Amino acid sequence: MSIAKFKRNYYGYFFITPFIIGFLIFGLYPVYNTLALSFTDTTLMSKNADFVGLKNFERLFADDVFMNAVKNTWLIWILNFFPQIGIALLLSAWFTNVRLKIKGIGLWRALFFLPNLLVPASVAALFFAFFSFYGPVNQFMVRYGFLPEAMHYLQSIPITRGLVIFIQWWMWFGQTVIIVMAGMTSIPIALYEAAMVDGATASQMFRRITLPLLKPILIYIFVTSLVGGMQMFDIPFLLTDGRGSPGGSIQTNNILMYMKFASSKGHIGAASSVGVLVFIMTSICALGIFYFLRERDDTVVIKSSKKSLFKKNT
Amino acid sequence: MFNYKLATNIQRTFIYIVLSILLIVTIVPIWLLIVNATRSTTEIQQGLSILPSTHLIENYKILLGKGLNLPRGFANSMFLAVTSTIVTVYFSMLTAYGIVVYEFQGKKFFSNFIVVLVMIPMQLSIIGFYQYMSKLGLTDNYAALILPLIANAGAVFFGKQYLESMIMQDLIDAARIDGASELGIFHLVMMPLAVPGAATMGIFAFVTSWNNFFNAFILISSIDKYTLPMLVQTLRGDVYRTEFGAIYLGLAATIVPIIIIYALFSRYIVSGIAMGAIKE
Repeated sequence: MSIAKFKRNYYGYFFITPFIIGFLIFGLYPVYNTLALSFTDTTLMSKNADFVGLKNFERLFADDVFMNAVKNTWLIWILNFFPQIGIALLLSAWFTNVRLKIKGIGLWRALFFLPNLLVPASVAALFFAFFSFYGPVNQFMVRYGFLPEAMHYLQSIPITRGLVIFIQWWMWFGQTVIIVMAGMTSIPIALYEAAMVDGATASQMFRRITLPLLKPILIYIFVTSLVGGMQMFDIPFLLTDGRGSPGGSIQTNNILMYMKFASSKGHIGAASSVGVLVFIMTSICALGIFYFLRERDDTVVIKSSKKSLFKKNT
Repeated sequence: MFNYKLATNIQRTFIYIVLSILLIVTIVPIWLLIVNATRSTTEIQQGLSILPSTHLIENYKILLGKGLNLPRGFANSMFLAVTSTIVTVYFSMLTAYGIVVYEFQGKKFFSNFIVVLVMIPMQLSIIGFYQYMSKLGLTDNYAALILPLIANAGAVFFGKQYLESMIMQDLIDAARIDGASELGIFHLVMMPLAVPGAATMGIFAFVTSWNNFFNAFILISSIDKYTLPMLVQTLRGDVYRTEFGAIYLGLAATIVPIIIIYALFSRYIVSGIAMGAIKE
């Protein structure tokens, strides 16, 4: 490497400096500050705050509210994530199948993705309007005899939870389809041809070729969905009263954090402790999945598979 | 052979049925929202309709009459989204360019660090962020929502993937021989070439800002600074309890701009999603 080139490469630091400064000020410091606050009894009202050690955390574990929020968040996430992946694998398999030649793939995908772009707050308010007592769902159900009389959907725990799960699924399955399909089309067709020559069935090819080669993509979807899901707020917050009613059944981590923040005294110390615990839980799960499930040579397999097949044939 | 063809046709029909059901599920709520925004409250209470009516202006007047400043919210959201888009695209491209073009010590570490940041729920530090901003006097100020985008890990990751797929080393070298500065090359050579990638990144940045509720809800307090998602939250209040037509119109006003953007740029958006995920 010549001296001039060596010097020039210092410009790399110059280009990434704004990011690093921005990250330190607006990313890292708030994380540190949240952690520091979680050990104090700071409120928005009082000027002086005391160090209280782990008291905030002890309080969180002392009653069921926090564990209930964590349980709700996981339940809602898991029950919308697996149908998402299932539908995405199914549709992608259909769309990429050369024998079926499904028409208008681009259009189907584009339309399925649309809900993902809509303002989540409006989507929640929309479903609230649809499922309110005088809303269109009751009109429809009663008029066509599916229900003897109008009911309060949003006072029923299973219906409200189911609705949050459905809305989350509705907003995200289109995106998952697009990503899974992009992953499937990047698998070299030669692999399937070789398998067909060996007499493999469609389901064998799916399990032995498609799924293993999709693994990096599936892990990506899994991790990003988990990180988003653990911070779910807008939909459950605006679907009912903002406290996760009925019976705290859709109270998520972030709703609980917000409730502590917005309580009459503004207990930001206690709110921070919720943030810290969920931060730790999510980061461990996300990074754990990423590092333990990922095989480092997965992407290499896709790139080199053509070559190795070719070698085998000759 | 005939049976094989028949089986394929049956399967194909089945698939089209499933796709149509999914399409109905996807579109009907959005369609009903837009239709209901044009119907009067009485019409809405009388029953369902899939055809628009004529009460759009009337609903708008009711909405304004109840004190909901929709134009103001629209202008606020638009200002915030446009500024956020510019900041995100410029600084993320700058960072991505630095990673892709230069070989410096710690480059590998820095790129891995970006990936880790994508997987960490930074939003959970919002409380610490809020208190820190209030110390700086930046609460109830859009700067608190815009400045953090200087370090937007997801956008940098996307920018890096995009720039790596462009071969531009020859152009950069040619510009250097012509005496261009390193920053000048970024502005005058790279930026014009990277317009498609920057546009995709920009659309995502715009939509993210437009849809953002949680951060704005925590940081912004005065009502004349409310963004559209925050106004939606006030629509849930008692004042609007029986004004269904007006409520639907308020909700429609927040999502129709996004639908228009999507209709224009869906190609960029759909290819952009796949790009962020693949090749990792």
